[in-house]
Amino acid sequence: MNTIPIIIDEKKLEVDPGKTILEVCRENEIEILTMCHLKGVLDIGACRLCLVEIEGINKLLSACTTKVAANMIIRTNTDRIKKYQRITTELFFAERNHVCAVCVANGKCELQDLGYKVGLDHIRYPHLFPQCEVDTSHPWYVMDHNRCIMCTRCVRVCNEVEGAHNWDVMNRGHQVRVISDFNSPWGESVTCTSCGKCLHACPTGAIWPKAIVQGQLQKNPGMINELVEKRKMKL
Amino acid sequence: MNRQDLKTIIYAEKKKEETNKYKHKICVCCGAGCISSGSEEVMKKLQEEIKTRGLENEVEVIPTGCMGPCNQGPLMKFLPEYNIYQKVDCSNISAIVQSQLIEKKPIEDLLLFADSREKPFIDARDDPYFKKQLKIALKNCGHINPERIEDYLVHNGYLALDKVLFEMSPEEVIAEVKQSRIRGRGGAGYPAGLKWETVYKYVNDQKYVICNGDEGDPGAFMDRSVLEGNPHRVLEGMAIAGYAIGANKGYAYIRGEYPLAIKRFELAIKQAKKLGLLGNNILGTTFSFDVEVRIGAGAFVCGEETALIASIEGKRGTPRPRPPFPAESGLWGKPTLINNVETFAAISPIINNGGEWYSEIGTPKSAGTKVFALAGKINYAGLIEVPMGTTLREIVFDIGGGIQNGEDFKAAQTGGPSGGCIPAEHLDVKMDYESLVSLGSIMGSGGLIIMDKSSDMVDVARFFMEFCMDESCGKCVPCRVGTRMMHDLLQKICENKATQIDLDRLEELAVYVKETSLCGLGGSAPNPLLSTLRHFRQEYENRIVQHD
Amino acid sequence: MKSETAVPVKDMPKTDPRMKLIAAKLKKESFKPDALIEILHTAQNAYGYLPKEVLSYITKALHLPPSRVYSTVTFYHFFSLKSKGEHTCLVCTGTACYVKGAQAILNEIERGLGLKAGQVTADNKLGVQVARCIGACGLAPAVVLDDEVQAKVTPEEIVQKINAKIGTL
Repeated sequence: MNTIPIIIDEKKLEVDPGKTILEVCRENEIEILTMCHLKGVLDIGACRLCLVEIEGINKLLSACTTKVAANMIIRTNTDRIKKYQRITTELFFAERNHVCAVCVANGKCELQDLGYKVGLDHIRYPHLFPQCEVDTSHPWYVMDHNRCIMCTRCVRVCNEVEGAHNWDVMNRGHQVRVISDFNSPWGESVTCTSCGKCLHACPTGAIWPKAIVQGQLQKNPGMINELVEKRKMKL
Repeated sequence: MNRQDLKTIIYAEKKKEETNKYKHKICVCCGAGCISSGSEEVMKKLQEEIKTRGLENEVEVIPTGCMGPCNQGPLMKFLPEYNIYQKVDCSNISAIVQSQLIEKKPIEDLLLFADSREKPFIDARDDPYFKKQLKIALKNCGHINPERIEDYLVHNGYLALDKVLFEMSPEEVIAEVKQSRIRGRGGAGYPAGLKWETVYKYVNDQKYVICNGDEGDPGAFMDRSVLEGNPHRVLEGMAIAGYAIGANKGYAYIRGEYPLAIKRFELAIKQAKKLGLLGNNILGTTFSFDVEVRIGAGAFVCGEETALIASIEGKRGTPRPRPPFPAESGLWGKPTLINNVETFAAISPIINNGGEWYSEIGTPKSAGTKVFALAGKINYAGLIEVPMGTTLREIVFDIGGGIQNGEDFKAAQTGGPSGGCIPAEHLDVKMDYESLVSLGSIMGSGGLIIMDKSSDMVDVARFFMEFCMDESCGKCVPCRVGTRMMHDLLQKICENKATQIDLDRLEELAVYVKETSLCGLGGSAPNPLLSTLRHFRQEYENRIVQHD
Repeated sequence: MKSETAVPVKDMPKTDPRMKLIAAKLKKESFKPDALIEILHTAQNAYGYLPKEVLSYITKALHLPPSRVYSTVTFYHFFSLKSKGEHTCLVCTGTACYVKGAQAILNEIERGLGLKAGQVTADNKLGVQVARCIGACGLAPAVVLDDEVQAKVTPEEIVQKINAKIGTL
């Protein structure tokens, strides 16, 4: 296949057309921060962490949804981008109730990792402290909306990979919440297959299996893409 | 119906008009504004009055769309004299009819603007309110009965469609629209011709035309008036677009808040189909085009094109990142052309008179006319259409009649929650896309809210931020959380509790949200804040408390 | 758009004409899932809100996942899951109305009824809603009382009109 030349952070690359900037960066070990991206499900460009500067384009574009084009000159680590990544991270932490010390995902949390990566030492915005439910109605799993960052990876994996479409999003603006069926308790769902994929897709401690103590959570988000690939092969 | 049939109908209708047995025509404004002021009762009473006096063979009474000065309604216009009566009350109809039709002289005290001008203009066309305007998109609004297709046909309706189908290739139609230099009237001002050409170039067996009538800006009612006053014009524009880009299906997405516009547009579709001006094999050609109405369910973000598409598909109206643009992958993944109501309304005059004619109106970069909805603390609130480049001063003082109660002009808000405020020192700004952007505002869809000193600019910014916060779809982080944070900070300033640090943070957040949001709603949500900060910073600083 | 008095579906006879209305609309739209919003409009207009039973029925008829229907319903202002009361009072808070004192009108109504916009009186007589803009800016400030637009109203006038409707305020 023909390759096209592009430049990312002064680095000249020959890449396959049709790939997204994010895919190219990952292949070439150029770090791009993401939260809503999950390999194996469709990208939505919602977290805005993967924004990059492209010469000749006024707007910042999300690397996960923008395809490479010949002679693109891309910058992923300018001061502006770093500043915005920090603000986004702060907003994530200020939006709901994230207390790492008491979280099952402590040490295994993508949001926590993100905080370290952007060098978050304090949050400059007031915490919103919304009243969020903890849904423990499912026999095996717990959904804690306090720790949900609305990346909707669970929604997409449930819909696109499992095909159950138990999860979706209700309301809008800062009132959005992930819901099961008619916003009913997860345990009463008529669509959930209890497959547990959402648990692995979730980047934080929002969805976790019961009978797990703090910091003991094991998640395997890579499993989602393996599953997608295996299904394609129909072994 | 074939081409000859259309010509025959138009000819017959025109003949009927010329040899009109009626000596007088009375137009009663039945736009939503005047209906709310009671114009339907006025119309009923007027018809009774005409009948009682045995004048029904001399006088024709028709309901029309919006005439313009909505807050003076109900409005009643006598033709051919062009005498317009304002605030018509059922109780003075008899006197008006007596004076106007029997004694052949108008009652000056009841004429339009009689209560605010020294002397009203007998022929309303002489009034600066109308003189300074140029009506293209609104041309037939207020003159024809929007519920009769024949009225539109008499005014050369559907001739442009006839012309493109028989005399022009799709390329030629696109070239004409490009030459007119018309820019999308929905807000962003993207050249319409270029958009058409892009969609035309994508090869696909199925393409769509969408008319964006989801006019969600608070303070804007241009699209509403066009749809209510002359729905066929919009329909014709859509069909021409369909022919040009190669689409056979169109959707008109109209706000659910506009039941009258929906009713009239649906009626227009029915009438056009009956005459073979819509549907299969239009005018006997191979071109087929059908239009369906989709009713908006109350979400401002659906004015954003990708969100609107999601909504037509029956989903949550959340935008998605572009590219790919709808021109490449739109409704159900097919190439889709989306234009605003006002843009489609300008298409048939462009085809009839030529692109060059249109391009010579307005300014070099912003061609044509723009409809504005004047509201707020202005004497003559309502709907106006002026050439691009008309100054704000002309609009406010010559057309709008100045500020209520003789107060001083403080600011004009353009572009709704995505726009900004223009202060008094820029009253001479030309109203065109570039000039407004250079002042930190935008043209937007055409809402123009006039404010006097009673408006507190920090509170205005808070009002619009609250709007954006509530209307944010919640998909991307900057808009979902950022608008909430900015709103809370603005609230704090309004309560005189904020410090300089809060103000600095607010400004930083505003730039962040503007640059990082996924769609236009978030991207423009900070505009009212940024523009009031730019022009009225003192009002913010006056409220900052000094402590460490 | 007239809405009848809202009554919970379970209290309705099985041959509820409104259910038939929805069934007819479903058929007209050939049970296409993308007609969801159109059908929700029909249901909302018929009931004044979207009772859970009606939502379940639509969900099944269109073969959609329940969460997908619920997510769409809660996204749009037009759809409500709760009854809005026998009478409705919709205060426009668009820019023009805001500049002309819509807030004072809303405050007066809220104070008089002891509720907030979006709520219904305890006796279910009156529901108070706010609209972002009803497009009647030339008549600002405007209030819609039971589908009737009240133009250029003062707080006192509107209170009087509400009084005439429900007898208390």
